Parts: sequence; C-alpha cells; structure tokens
Amino acid sequence: MADPYQILGVRREAGADEIRKAYRGLAKKTHPDLHPDDKAAEVRFKEIASAYAIVGDEAKRALFDSGKIDGSGAELKPSPDREFYRQHAEAEPGVKYEQYWRGSENGQEDDLFAELFGRRTTVKMRGSDLSYTLAVTFLEAVNGAKKRVVMGDGKTLDLSIPPGLVDQQILRLRGQGQAGAGGEKPGDALVEIHVEPHPLFQRNGNDILSILAITLGEALAGAKVPAETVTGTINVTVPKGSNTGTKLRLRGKGVVARDAKGDHFVELKVVLPDKPDDAFVKSVKEWESMHPYDPR
Amino acid sequence: MINEIEIIALIEPLQADVLQRWIDLGWVLPNHDGPSMHFDSTDVARVRLICELHYDLRIEEDSLSLVLSLMDQLYAARRVLATFASAVEAQPEDVRARIACLVKTK
Repeated sequence: MADPYQILGVRREAGADEIRKAYRGLAKKTHPDLHPDDKAAEVRFKEIASAYAIVGDEAKRALFDSGKIDGSGAELKPSPDREFYRQHAEAEPGVKYEQYWRGSENGQEDDLFAELFGRRTTVKMRGSDLSYTLAVTFLEAVNGAKKRVVMGDGKTLDLSIPPGLVDQQILRLRGQGQAGAGGEKPGDALVEIHVEPHPLFQRNGNDILSILAITLGEALAGAKVPAETVTGTINVTVPKGSNTGTKLRLRGKGVVARDAKGDHFVELKVVLPDKPDDAFVKSVKEWESMHPYDPR
Repeated sequence: MINEIEIIALIEPLQADVLQRWIDLGWVLPNHDGPSMHFDSTDVARVRLICELHYDLRIEEDSLSLVLSLMDQLYAARRVLATFASAVEAQPEDVRARIACLVKTK
C-alpha cells in the first residue's frame, strides 16, 4: 500500500485535526454508499479508510512513523471484505428501508415503478379524431337541422347542422370520436359535409337563386303567383310587363343564419303554352307585324 | 441474524442508547421478537454506514435524517431502474435498439 499520508493528501507533520478533516473530505467524495454509480469508489474508499486507520490513530501512526508497521498491516481497522450498504440496498432486503420514508406500512407499490409501469399498461391518451363525410340535402344545409346518423363504421353521430352551412364545410363534433384511454377525453368526429344540389334552388353565398316560370299573360299583365322558397311557398307579385330574365328580390328569404340574412332572387321565365292554337298564333303574328321588335 | 448486544460489540463506536434512538427514529428497522431484536446483514451494513456518516463524516443527526431519506430514495430509484434494465434486457434485439435510441435522444 502506498504512503497513507499521500493517500489522504496531508503532510507527514500534519496535526490530528488536519488529518481528520482530510479524511472526512475524501470519505464524503468516495463513500460507496453515497456514490452507488461509482465502481471505483469502493476501492478508493477502502484505501482512504485504511490510511486513516493508521494515521488517524495516534498509536498506529507512531508505529507507522517509526517503521514498525507498513500500510498493509493486518491490524488495520476496516476489514477488507466488509460489506457496504449499497450491496444490500440494491437487493431485495433494501426495500424495507425505502418504504419507511413513505410513511405507509401497507407496502405500497413503488411510486416510480408504478408510474413507469403504469405508462405501459394503462396508456393515458385522448381519443383520436375520426373523419367522416356526410351528404345533407340543400335545404338542411340552408335551414340547419338536427340529425342522428349511423356512419359506415357503425358509429352513431348526433349532428346539429347550423343554418347556412356550406358545401365541404367540416363540422367538429366534440367527444364523438374515438374513446379516450386511461380516463382521458374522447376525440372528436370531423364530418365533412357535402351539400346535395337542389332541383330548383341555387346558392350564391347567402342568396338563393331560382327560376320562376310564368305565363305570357302573367308577364304582360302582372300577377300574384306562388313561388317556392327555402322556407316554403309564398305568393310573389310579378309586376306588369315582366319578361324572361327579370329578377325579383324576395328580401330576407335567402339563407338566414346567425350573422347572415340573404335574399331570394327569383328570375322570371316566360313560358309559352305547350300547344299554342292557331288563333293564338295568328293574333300574335298580327300584333308583331304592327309592332316589330328586335330581341337580339 | 445477530442481536443487539452482538451488533454493538461488532461496530466499534456504537452505543446501546444511540442504537435505540436510531431504531426509534426509524433509521434502523430490526426484526422484533418479543423484547429481543434481530439484525440481519442489511441492518448491520446500514448501522455501520450510519456510524460512518455520523462519527467519521460528522453528519449531525438532524441532517442525517435527510441524508438517509435521500439515500433511500436513490436506492429505490436504482432498484426500479435495475428492474427495468432487466426487462429491457429480456426484449428482442430490435426492441432494445429502439429503446436505446429513445434514451439517447432524451
């Protein structure tokens, strides 16, 4: 063994206090139980302890100084094969001391273990979102609707279609996606809405366009005729002298949503009778010859 | 297993009243069999450590409580780590490689 003074880093003539202080400093740095990750700590600590056993003890120090014992003497205090606490602490018997500080005598599962292990078995995760596409009628999109639909995957969705919904808009249905795991919230259902076309109506933003067929007489003389709107049939006043292409604005009869109030534009279309009889044709021809006009 | 008298004889600076106080503080947890106490090798190693911390390293009992608490938590964590290490060890090579990769990027 090397010189114990050298191991402790003290001079030969150092006082007892100085030696104790040096030993304490080194022991704190190398005590294997305080440095379980340091493989060399044990060897180093034993060396320091052996050195201190000699020079920290007045009688032994005197014997060493006079050359009567050397550093490897069998009379050294710490037995070379002593067990350190870390060997026990990292084995099964150490458990009782770990649990003591938890203040629970029920031998609760190790918190860290439970946490790490728990992650593997009970995953805590918000459910994933599910995407769907759904077709709704033109009128449902305009006026809004509440629907319960069973999707292709067997999932039942409760939909509240807001008035004024537009084609390809995506509705987020909170909580109607995949169920969450480990107490977390379910995901959402994302439903892309496809609005089916309507035979009569077209939509331009919040306005509704439709074509209203009227007779020649209604166009010429004016009339009140029934017209379909998105909210039902109403009577429309066709002004006297209307023509094909004349547009009538029905205020507030378009898409009425929270922040929208569209109109319904009715484009008139003058329709001749299916089978005009000779008398009708003749009178029109006569009238035209008297009042020629060029519509082109 | 050794009894109270044997452990005091074995560990040089240890006194009966000090040992009893440490037991009362929960620092040492021997098995009790009626009035007699039994110290297993873990208890002995622990008493020896506490003696070194207290007598050699001059850690006062107030601080020692904290040191022991932290030390026990450290060993608890190391035990968990060891358990997981062996669990990882038992996994197929590709799983171990993936775990190693995840650990490295942390």
